[in-house]
Amino acid sequence: MGSLMIYREMSTRKLLLVLILPAVIIIFLVIIGPIAFAFILSINQATPRLGGIDLKWRGLLNYIHFFFQDPQFWLSVRITMYFTIVSLAVELVLGTGIALVLNKNFWGRGFVRAVVLIPWAVPTVVNARLWEWIYAGSSFGALNGLLKVIGALPEAKNIVWLGFDVPFAGVPLLSEFFSWMGVSRALNMIILADTWKVTPLVVFLLLAGLQQIPESLYEVASIDGANAWRKFWSITYAYLKPVFLVILVLRTMELFRVFDIIYILMQYSIRVVGIYTYETGMKFLRFGKGSALSFLVAMFILAFTLLYIKLFYKEEI
Amino acid sequence: MKKTLLMLTGIILLLALVSCGPKEAAGPAEAPAAEINVLYMAQAAYQPEDVAGWARLFTDVTGIKVNVDFVKYDEQHEKVVASAIAATPTYDVFSLDLIWTAEFASKGFCVPLDDKIAGFKDDIPAPIMDAFVYDGKTWAMPFLANFQLFFYNVNMIKRAGFPGARPKTLEEMVEMMKAMKKRGIVEYPWTDSWNQKEGLTCEYVWLTGAFGGDTFDENGKPIFNEGPGLKALEFMVMLLKEGLASPKSLTNDEPAARDDFIAGQAAFTSNWTFQYGSLDDPETSKIVGQAKMGLLPVSKDALGKYPNDTASVSGFQGAAILANSNNKEAAWKWLRFCTSPVLQRAYLTEMPVWTSVSTSAYAATMDPVMDIKSKQIANVHHRPRVPVYTETSSILQKYIHQALTMKMAPKEALDKAKAEIEAL
Repeated sequence: MGSLMIYREMSTRKLLLVLILPAVIIIFLVIIGPIAFAFILSINQATPRLGGIDLKWRGLLNYIHFFFQDPQFWLSVRITMYFTIVSLAVELVLGTGIALVLNKNFWGRGFVRAVVLIPWAVPTVVNARLWEWIYAGSSFGALNGLLKVIGALPEAKNIVWLGFDVPFAGVPLLSEFFSWMGVSRALNMIILADTWKVTPLVVFLLLAGLQQIPESLYEVASIDGANAWRKFWSITYAYLKPVFLVILVLRTMELFRVFDIIYILMQYSIRVVGIYTYETGMKFLRFGKGSALSFLVAMFILAFTLLYIKLFYKEEI
Repeated sequence: MKKTLLMLTGIILLLALVSCGPKEAAGPAEAPAAEINVLYMAQAAYQPEDVAGWARLFTDVTGIKVNVDFVKYDEQHEKVVASAIAATPTYDVFSLDLIWTAEFASKGFCVPLDDKIAGFKDDIPAPIMDAFVYDGKTWAMPFLANFQLFFYNVNMIKRAGFPGARPKTLEEMVEMMKAMKKRGIVEYPWTDSWNQKEGLTCEYVWLTGAFGGDTFDENGKPIFNEGPGLKALEFMVMLLKEGLASPKSLTNDEPAARDDFIAGQAAFTSNWTFQYGSLDDPETSKIVGQAKMGLLPVSKDALGKYPNDTASVSGFQGAAILANSNNKEAAWKWLRFCTSPVLQRAYLTEMPVWTSVSTSAYAATMDPVMDIKSKQIANVHHRPRVPVYTETSSILQKYIHQALTMKMAPKEALDKAKAEIEAL
C-alpha cells in the first residue's frame, strides 16, 4: 500500500514518464540498441570467436572497401537499381490503369475489387514458391505446360524461364548495356512475379486517392473543353501526387532491400544488395562489412526518398 | 480513475513477477537430469522422425533428455556460429559438414575427439575419417557418408546403338550422347545441378577428379586453373556448347537434376545417393526399370589412376560437440549412440560409415548396390579444407557459373577465381 501512496503523490507529468518508460526501454532494446551495435560493427573488423566477437578498429575502411575496391558492390547496386526502377514503373503504370478502371461504375465492381486484392494476400514466400513452380524449366513447369497445351511450344521443348540469358543478346550496345547492368531473363521474370503480388497494393492506394477527387472538377473541365489527357494530367495526377509520393517511398524501400523472393528463386545467383549483404554478413561471417553494407543500403534508400520528396512534395492542393 | 489504474497495474506486475519466478522453488530440491540440445538438418539423409525416435530411445536407455532442433541444411552454419559465439550455447551437439571442419576447428568452436575415438576409428574407412581431420586432430564423429554416383538410362544407351553398359570414360559417354542427340532420342542427354550453389562446387570437384587431379593441393593452395581443373571446366562448357548438357542445369539444384533424369529428359547425370530411391518409384518416375546406378566415369587420360577407374566427391557429415557446451559428457554419449554401428545397420538407406556394417553379409543382402557404393566411396575427392571455405566456394561457384553462362572463357574465369581466393 505504501508504494501506491507514493504513486498517488506523483505529479501527472511523472506518472506519464513512468508509463512511457517501458515503451522507451523496448524501443532502445529492439531498435536503437541494435542500430548502434550494427554501426559499431560496421567500423570494425568483427570476427566471431568462441563466446563472443573480436573487434578490430577499421574506421571507415569497410565503407571505403565497398565504394572503391569492390566491383561486386557496384554490380549489386546496378542490379538492384534495375529491379527497383523497372518494378516501380510497371507497378505504377499497371496500378494506375487498374485503379482508374475500378473507380468507374460497372456491374460486379465490388467483386472485381475483392479479386484484385487476392495476390496481395499471398505471403511473399508462398508467392515465390508459386512462381518457382510456374517458371520451372522442365515439363513440370506450369508455364511451359500451358504453352504446350495451347500449342505455342513443341512437346519436346522446354524454356528455362529463370535462365541467365541477357535480354537483346546479339543487339550491339543494348546487350552490352544489359550485361553490364547484370540483367538476365531470370531477373525480368522475378520482376513479373513480384509485380503480380504487389500491384494490388498500388491499385488500392491509388483508388483511395481517386475517390477523394470531386466529380464536379471533371464536369467543369469538360465544360471548359479539356480533353481526356488534360483532365488526367491536371486533375487526376495533380490530386494523386501525394499518393504517388507515398507509393514511391514505400515501394522503393521494399524493392531496394528485396531479399526473400530472389533468395528463394535464385539463392546467390542474382546478387541484389540485400542478398549481397546477407551473404557477406551471415554466410561469410564478415559482420563488420555486412553491417557497413546495411548502412549503405539505408543511405541509398534515404537518397531516393529525399529525391522523391523534392520532386513531389512541393505544393498543397 | 487514476487510483484504479494504478491498482490494476500493480496487480498485473505482481502476477507477472509470480509467474516468472522459478517453478522448482515450490517443490523439494532435485538434482537436474542431464539434458542436451542437438542441431540437425531436416533435409536429405536420416529424416526427423528417425532422429526423434532415436532421441526417445536414448532417453529411455540413459536418462539423458535430448532436444533436437531440425533446420534446413543452409541454416545450420549460421546457427552453429550463433551458438558458438554466445556466452551460453544454444546447442551441445551439431552436425558438422566436412567443409566446415577447418573453419570451426581453427576457431575452436568444437572439441577434438581423438582420445575418445582411438579405440574404434580403424573400423571407419580412411576417406571418411580424414574428412574431419584438421591440424592433425579429429573434430567430429563421422555420421553420414554421402557421395556422388553415376546414373544412366540403359534404354536410351541401347536405342543409340550401344550394348547398354555403363560408359567407362567421359569420352565414351560423350560419344553416346552425340549418338542419342543425332537419333533424336533425347534433346539434352546430360543434366546436372550447376546452379550457383554448393552443388556446383561438388560437381566441379568430382569432374576435376575424373580428369585426374584435385582443386586444391595438400596445403590448401588453389591449383584448379591448370591441368585437371581447367579440363573439367572446359568439359562442362563443351557439354553446354554442343547442346549435350541441358541449359536448365544452370538453374538446377540436386532434386531438380533428379527430376529431369526420372522424367526421362536426360540419359546421364551425377547425383548424391538419394537419387537411387527415385529411379524405380512408379509414383514419380517415368523411367521405371530403365535406369541404373553405377560408378562415375573418368577421362581416358585418368584411366589406371584410381582403383576401379572412378572418381567422386564427398558430402560427409559428422556429429561434433560445441566447445562451450556445459554437457560434454552427455553430448559424447549421444554422439556414440547416434553414430553407432547398431543404429546404422538398422538404417541401410544411408551408406554406413562403419566398414564392419557395410561389408557385412546382412548389408549385402539388404542393399543390392552396397558393392557399388563401397567402391565409389573409396574414390572420393574432398572439397578444400580451408578456414574460409564458404567464401572460397562462393568465389569458385561465381566464376564457374560465369564460364558456364559463356560470359567468360574457362581459363580466364579460373584465373580470376584463383586470384580472388588467394586474396582472402
